[in-house]
Amino acid sequence: MICLVLCFVALFVFAFLSVFSAKYRPLAARAFDCAVRKATLRPCETGLDEELKAASIAGIMRVSPAAASFVNRHFEAFSLAFAAIFFASFAVAFAGIYNFAVYGNCNGPQGGFCAYNSLHNTAFLKAPGSLDGITAGNASAKVVVIEFGCYVCPYTKSAESDVREMLEKHRNDVYFVFKPFPILSHPHSTEAALAASCAGEQGRYWEYRQALFENQADVMRRGDAALLEIAHRLNISPSFDACYTGRKFLSFIQKTEKEGQECGIYGTPTFFVNGKPFVGQNAVKEAENEVRRLLSGGGDGT
Amino acid sequence: MALDARRIRQDFPALQKTGAIYFDSACTSLKPKAVIDAEAAYYEQAAGCAGRSAHRLAKRTEELFEQARKKVAAFLNADAEGVVFTKNATEALNLAIRSFDYSSRKKIVTTVLEHHSALLPVMEQERRGVAKMELMRTNPDGTFDEEGIADCIDRLTALVVVHHTTNTTGMRAPLEKIVKIAHEAGAAVLVDGAQGVAHSKVDFKRLGADFLAFSGHKMCGPTGIGCLVAKKDALERLDSFIVGGETIESVRIGQVRWKRGAKRFEGGIQNYAGAAGLGAACDYMSRIGMAAVEEHERKLAKRLIEAIGGVKGAVLYGHPSPEKRCALACFNIAGVPHHQVALMSDSLASIALRSGTFCAQPAMESLGAPGGAVRASLYIYNTEEEIETFAETLGRIAKLAR
Repeated sequence: MICLVLCFVALFVFAFLSVFSAKYRPLAARAFDCAVRKATLRPCETGLDEELKAASIAGIMRVSPAAASFVNRHFEAFSLAFAAIFFASFAVAFAGIYNFAVYGNCNGPQGGFCAYNSLHNTAFLKAPGSLDGITAGNASAKVVVIEFGCYVCPYTKSAESDVREMLEKHRNDVYFVFKPFPILSHPHSTEAALAASCAGEQGRYWEYRQALFENQADVMRRGDAALLEIAHRLNISPSFDACYTGRKFLSFIQKTEKEGQECGIYGTPTFFVNGKPFVGQNAVKEAENEVRRLLSGGGDGT
Repeated sequence: MALDARRIRQDFPALQKTGAIYFDSACTSLKPKAVIDAEAAYYEQAAGCAGRSAHRLAKRTEELFEQARKKVAAFLNADAEGVVFTKNATEALNLAIRSFDYSSRKKIVTTVLEHHSALLPVMEQERRGVAKMELMRTNPDGTFDEEGIADCIDRLTALVVVHHTTNTTGMRAPLEKIVKIAHEAGAAVLVDGAQGVAHSKVDFKRLGADFLAFSGHKMCGPTGIGCLVAKKDALERLDSFIVGGETIESVRIGQVRWKRGAKRFEGGIQNYAGAAGLGAACDYMSRIGMAAVEEHERKLAKRLIEAIGGVKGAVLYGHPSPEKRCALACFNIAGVPHHQVALMSDSLASIALRSGTFCAQPAMESLGAPGGAVRASLYIYNTEEEIETFAETLGRIAKLAR
């Protein structure tokens, strides 16, 4: 049984590695031979399973003899667990590819961040048609920066200091529009967006936004309680509570979310600088470069 | 003079280039530069075929080939006319066992301790109804039941096939006694010297056996070359084996006049480079001195057995006395499969060991290891420091079982 599992896992792993390096091809051939023999109920004589076991245990022994002894005693259980994880990952990856092919996003119809999209260029992203959202800067500036972001997304959080710096530097030259795009797989993403908009209604948006990012982990864990607590701590008007619990800005959030889906947003933060898209962790820096280029007369963008 | 293993190591490019601790010399030994050069010299300086063409390159080849035959004969104190080149010990054993004259006697006596290369040809002769096989009694520790030797060698015995040194325990057969009893009964003796010739001083004339088979690659020679060494008249008791070019005096359809002596068994173009390499290996081993090799191996065997004995859960196969064996030991470690021990020794400390049943399945079964074991086989280039590393590595591996 153990030989069968190891040979099949080895076949997948080495066959994949063989695509990139010729040194894995003899191992893949041996794994294939073993798998075919097992599939036809003949004994596998390649010794590959024994070699893999010995190499694994020897590797662990160099770090910890006690751990090597433990793994050696339970090697079959570890192998089966490893094989289960391997095949589960394989199934998830396959489902992702299927969703990507059918829905254009590996998470399926509900959307959300999808690594496969980053394999492509951003040319398929469409710039939003409206400037609806939370705004800052000079409304008549010739450079418009639009951010699709999620308040409980770690990448949106990590980009925040650069966003603020960019706004400070180009307050008079840039019109900034933030469009909430809650990532549904992040806990309380919609609630955070609703709360931020309620704070904005009281004229306290940027303070609340900063506190939201600072307390992101707490918000993800405790949801409503944490969001209300932040508002109380910041002494935002009592009408905030009614706004939040009444989900006053839900239609606004749904609208920006739908708009993001129509634009093809697959991860946050995504920036558009005069319609040109920038996606991912370093997107804000690239967006700022584009802003500088436009302000220095490098063209009017797309 | 004592052997200086550290100096000898300088002669072996494989040791210099790989840094491995090579404990698999019973499978094949490493090759010194002198042997590699001798093989290359044939291709660079002769490169013809012997015994056929008359040009200078062919004559040079003939000289090289016959010189190698003389070197082998001198190394073993045998007659050059009785040295038949084969491709290895397996072919030499098959030649003797399958071509022997069984017309008047139909019994082959052998032992369960033999390598498959000796045992299978005997079993084949029995299967084909040519001869009947009978086994000499041996003990579970690999020693012989010496009282029982005379019981199975009798007037019906044509041939006794027995090892000089086994490849499973490194222990020697009581050849003096076996040869004496066999000859008294009128039987011929074929000694499998694949391990013995490489590790002991073998004097063929003094040994008194009729045939001795061995291979070059276990005694620092090249692969693809071996020999059947025979007493002058013993070759006449063998029928033709592989026939073809250079084995005949003349041929007419329906009528062949065979050559006499060793040439009758050397059909076709021979492994001239291999023979030159084997000749160089004989020179190399002679320079070291086989008495010094034996002394060096006795020391290594003692330390090797102590090292294995010091490992918790280790079981040594064969008689534990180092005096009874060359520097070879077969063992298992309780709770760790033999292949895993060998593979991990390679991974952890670059120690080359062999694991399995060593082409001697019945032997391993009789020794109490039917599933196989690990084998450490040392040679002239191994040191006691390497055994220390081996012992330390085995100790680490043995802890896996706890």
